[in-house]
Amino acid sequence: MTSEPYVTAAALARRRRRASLARFWHRYRAHRAGLWGLAGLTLIGLVALTAPLTVGADVQSVTNAPGTALASPSAEFPLGTDQFGRSLLGLLIWGARISLLVGLLAASLSVAIGTLVGILAGHYGGWFSTVVMRVTDWFLVMPALVLAIVLATVMSRSVWTVVLAIGVTSWPTTARLVRAQTIAVESRPYIERATALGGGDGHVMTRHVLPNVMPLVLAQTTLGISTAILTEATLAFLGLGDPTVVSWGGMLQDAREAGAVSSGHWWYLAPPGIAIALVALAFTLCGRAVESVLNPKLGVGR
Amino acid sequence: MTSASTPASVARTGTGSDSGTARATEGGARSGTAVAYLRHAAGKLAGAAVSLLAVLVTSFFLFRIIPGDPVKTMTHGMPTTAEQLATLRRQFGLDLPLWQQFTDYCAKALTGDLGTSYQFRAPVGELIAQKLPATLLLTGTAVVLYSALGLWLGTRSAWRHGSLGDRLNTGVALTLWSVPSFWLGLLLIIVFSVGVGPVPGLFPTGGMESGTGETGLGYALDVAHHMVLPVLTLVAVGYAQTLLVMRSSLLDEMGGDYLTTARAKGLRDDAVRRRHAVPNALLPTVTMVFINLGHVAAGSILVETVFSWPGLGGLFYQALSVPDLPLVQGLFVVFAGAMIMTNLIADLLYPLLDPRVGR
Amino acid sequence: MVMVTKVPPRPAPARRALRLLLATGVTATSLLAVPATAQAEDEKSGGSTLTVAVSQSVDSLSPFLAQKLVSTSVHRLAYEYLTNYDVKDAHPIPGLATEWKASPDKLTWTYTIREDSFWSDGRQATAEDAAWTFNKMMTDPDAATANGSFTANFRKVSAPDPRTLVIELKQPQATMTALDVPIVPKHVWEKVTDFSKFNNDQRFPIVGNGPFVITDFKVDQYIKLKPNKRFWRGAPKFDELVFKYYKDGDAAVAALQKGEVSFVPNLTPAQANALKTQKNIRVNDAPGRRFYALAANPGARAKDGTAFGNGHKALLDPEVRKALFLAVDRTTLVRKVFQDHAVEGEGYIPPRFSSYFWKPAAEQKRSYDPARAERILDAAGYRKNAEGRRLGKDGKPIDLRILCHATDPNDKASAKYLQEWWGRLGIGLKVDCLDSVSDPWGKGDYDLAFDGWSVNPDPDYVLSIHTCGTLPATPKDTGATDNFICDRQFDSLYARQAVEYDAATRSDLVRQMQSRLYDTGYMNVLAYPNALEAYRTDQIASITTMPEAAGNLWGQDGYWSWWSAVPAAASSDGGSGGSSTGVIVTIGAAAVAVLGLVVFLGLRRRSTADDRE
Repeated sequence: MTSEPYVTAAALARRRRRASLARFWHRYRAHRAGLWGLAGLTLIGLVALTAPLTVGADVQSVTNAPGTALASPSAEFPLGTDQFGRSLLGLLIWGARISLLVGLLAASLSVAIGTLVGILAGHYGGWFSTVVMRVTDWFLVMPALVLAIVLATVMSRSVWTVVLAIGVTSWPTTARLVRAQTIAVESRPYIERATALGGGDGHVMTRHVLPNVMPLVLAQTTLGISTAILTEATLAFLGLGDPTVVSWGGMLQDAREAGAVSSGHWWYLAPPGIAIALVALAFTLCGRAVESVLNPKLGVGR
Repeated sequence: MTSASTPASVARTGTGSDSGTARATEGGARSGTAVAYLRHAAGKLAGAAVSLLAVLVTSFFLFRIIPGDPVKTMTHGMPTTAEQLATLRRQFGLDLPLWQQFTDYCAKALTGDLGTSYQFRAPVGELIAQKLPATLLLTGTAVVLYSALGLWLGTRSAWRHGSLGDRLNTGVALTLWSVPSFWLGLLLIIVFSVGVGPVPGLFPTGGMESGTGETGLGYALDVAHHMVLPVLTLVAVGYAQTLLVMRSSLLDEMGGDYLTTARAKGLRDDAVRRRHAVPNALLPTVTMVFINLGHVAAGSILVETVFSWPGLGGLFYQALSVPDLPLVQGLFVVFAGAMIMTNLIADLLYPLLDPRVGR
Repeated sequence: MVMVTKVPPRPAPARRALRLLLATGVTATSLLAVPATAQAEDEKSGGSTLTVAVSQSVDSLSPFLAQKLVSTSVHRLAYEYLTNYDVKDAHPIPGLATEWKASPDKLTWTYTIREDSFWSDGRQATAEDAAWTFNKMMTDPDAATANGSFTANFRKVSAPDPRTLVIELKQPQATMTALDVPIVPKHVWEKVTDFSKFNNDQRFPIVGNGPFVITDFKVDQYIKLKPNKRFWRGAPKFDELVFKYYKDGDAAVAALQKGEVSFVPNLTPAQANALKTQKNIRVNDAPGRRFYALAANPGARAKDGTAFGNGHKALLDPEVRKALFLAVDRTTLVRKVFQDHAVEGEGYIPPRFSSYFWKPAAEQKRSYDPARAERILDAAGYRKNAEGRRLGKDGKPIDLRILCHATDPNDKASAKYLQEWWGRLGIGLKVDCLDSVSDPWGKGDYDLAFDGWSVNPDPDYVLSIHTCGTLPATPKDTGATDNFICDRQFDSLYARQAVEYDAATRSDLVRQMQSRLYDTGYMNVLAYPNALEAYRTDQIASITTMPEAAGNLWGQDGYWSWWSAVPAAASSDGGSGGSSTGVIVTIGAAAVAVLGLVVFLGLRRRSTADDRE
């Protein structure tokens, strides 16, 4: 790996990490779809991050709404206005923040739970693993959307409720995958060596297993975000989101409640849906690319 | 071979593609003797029974945590005396202690009685039986269509992988896959039911029948007419999964040495594909479709809501807002039960269909 | 992850089995479903049909259980009540009873039953039927489920002869001419054993004596009625009345545009505006019977005096409530949230009930004045901190919660405005939207809440829910109380009006009650939402609203709208709509068939002609 004789272990590790990152990027670049996805995400991410500068928080205000109710697209309001006279373009941009935030948080929560459960079940094995995996299986056969709806109904309408409802219902897939990977990793000889050298359970799990399941976790998270964004939109559409927060799914529900469908106000309905689809697609493309780079067994080079 | 899309890439939560195929592989790896199979089947049956029991029990407690007093919600806006509230509570069995409600529920559930709905005052089983055909009709048709479409396009894509056609195919599928189904439904309603510009409203906006009293063929056509848009929505959003799984399994198969052997034996490409690659690749795909069947019923909640389809999804949503506890419980048991059953069937069928077993 | 291992080719039978499974298994389930749903509707309707779009599910067709508006509306059509409400001003008019009088001690009421009312099975409706109905409700708690509130004060009901009904009361009761209880035929209903389970939906037609007879019902699909040709006031003009289910408002509107339904209630402002300009459609935008209000938790209490719930302490201060209400711009809410399809709220009872309507005098009125609200809060000692937040007496910023109905768009929209208006006062507002608000509400776990009631021509009930008597007995019980208001002055006025048989004196008392309620400052009536509904003029030539001058069609207090509706000339043959529907059906079916064929051929082609790249 290294040609220089005097390097500390930390520096070595850092360099190795940088090298593997470079290798990752090199392989990722080979996936054209993945690059498209990444470009899309960067663009949407930028739009969301700069929203306070471009449209400002005031775009949500109903009392300072600049337009008339349900106006069709015009030079002043390129996407028209909602029933309060707020600019739909502004809301669309502002809504990106919540939709992305919820997607990220929910997917992270789901993957975190899944990873924890998976590693623990894989590492300890025995009856513990059996019980944990039974519970996982049980969650797996539960219709996730139904469960999420129930959870969102139980708790009061807020962004956190939605994050929790999605995170808590979507982890079993990750748990199963991580458990399998954990078992595979722990069967390697060097883990045995580490245990022999006095590495405890915690050491093995955090130092050896975790880094090895990270690629899988990363791919799962990327794919999970796409799902989470769609689920967020679904819950908001069913009226289970926070009504005082602007999100894409919430906009669709507002549109429906305002009667946009029967009055043919397609400009109110179309943009939030397209935005959801594009972001979900971008994350899916990235996730697929990341997955095939990190897990060559699955695709490339066979 | 270049990049092959992996089925796991489309592991949208709750679609069960991973679990299904993973489980199926597990099942397939077993030894194929009859005894082994019976043991395997018994194990799966017992597992399913345990899961079903667990669902029965949890559904009782899960829904007791829903806030809301059903009696209060139902009588809201109506002149009600305290005596009337007490009567309602007694009629619904809500005046009993929780443990007694639970034992009553269990005893009844074991005899197949899921209780009486609060808001319809009718047996839950009866209500579900009334709505089940509509859901089955809609989702059944959609599953058949999108499986067929996915298999066909997936095969084409895999066979010409890397070509423009393949890229277009997967691209379109992935895009449609990313679209929220309810939104697509609403757009279809605007364009094809309400009518935009020159497009006339061709299809009904919702419901399952016009209720004009048609019978026989006329009625069937009427229902088919109402089904077009919801089925289209479900198919558009759903076929990507079948397509991608089929495509990647087929690519896996095509890498197989036996195909080269078969070709070397002088079989035409077409024959190689039809006789060898496709059947093998079908296995994981069909398993996935099967397992998805269980999800589709629950997943149709959205499409049923958008198109006012008189099925279980709409019933569930309506029951949840009261909360109409017996009805919610019953529907949950049905949704989860469908999942368990389809999983079980997949588990039981897989070793029978898998060529690796015992031949 | 899918692990697909390479597999040697396998014998054909398994493959065929697989394909068979795929092809038949799923199709079979879906095909089996068709006959089950296709239960023949054998009665082909000739003549004119009035189709009404509804969304609410029927809870029961038994008048002893039914509480939902759609069910009670159907019962109004199928059964006679002792009295009815006049179509012009809703004063009590003869129904099954032709006249009535109270004894001097106000405790005995005698009704004369009409001779020309017949059950649809041919028997005459008598006082005996009425007496049996009331007695059943008084003796069997299950039979009192829906309308027990009317008979709670009855001592004895008897029918000395077929034309005379005598009701003896425990206390005087002002609502004796507004007993909204369907009278059922004794000879049919005395066979019912368990009133908690009998839903009256097994045998059709259902025996009744109203203007219509219920002929068919399918849960969440339709309710069908035919005119009662022997109805004493005269038979309705339409040959059939169908309540058809559309769970989605937009679907109902689209169905109206296409002529699939004749009438759609509960439109949104946007829908109403879109329909207004269309041919053959009339939008009825009439004063409604609901009030839409903001309720502040007055500190929930049980009858035994125990306080419970976690309502914000600051709201106990009348000055805070006053400031909050002063900062609410009702005009804006009416204009923006209701898009002018509402009347700005003032008193408790909507102006449509002119005999009881009251509005605050100029000096009493809380007009929109945010500056004054600021001054009141400052003067009352609620100072703003450095961040502009108002501090409560405990030194913490005041953060309130408001309960909103997740299913009501108006609640959510209004909450957005409240958040901003009160935010400027320095008071935070958290919007708690729930599907079912009854739980926190009943436990007193709220600060503010969106409240609304449909007011009956007789206001007794909506007034009663603010009396101390309706508080729960203990914190564990539930009471009929709306907002835990308990005010002695209000209660004594309520007691006086309840026994007042003189209409003028009673309405004066009711006005005083509203004035007192306004002054307690717990309720802020924001608006009286209009009834927004639309019907097709090419199907309905004329129809009577209630009140006749400007009123609603859906949810009337009588059967006037559907009884009076006259079919338009074009719709009586029902031809035009039918044929175009047929064409569309054919096109739709063809589309499905083509799609199926394409898929089928595609699958075939895949296995034959397709060649490799």
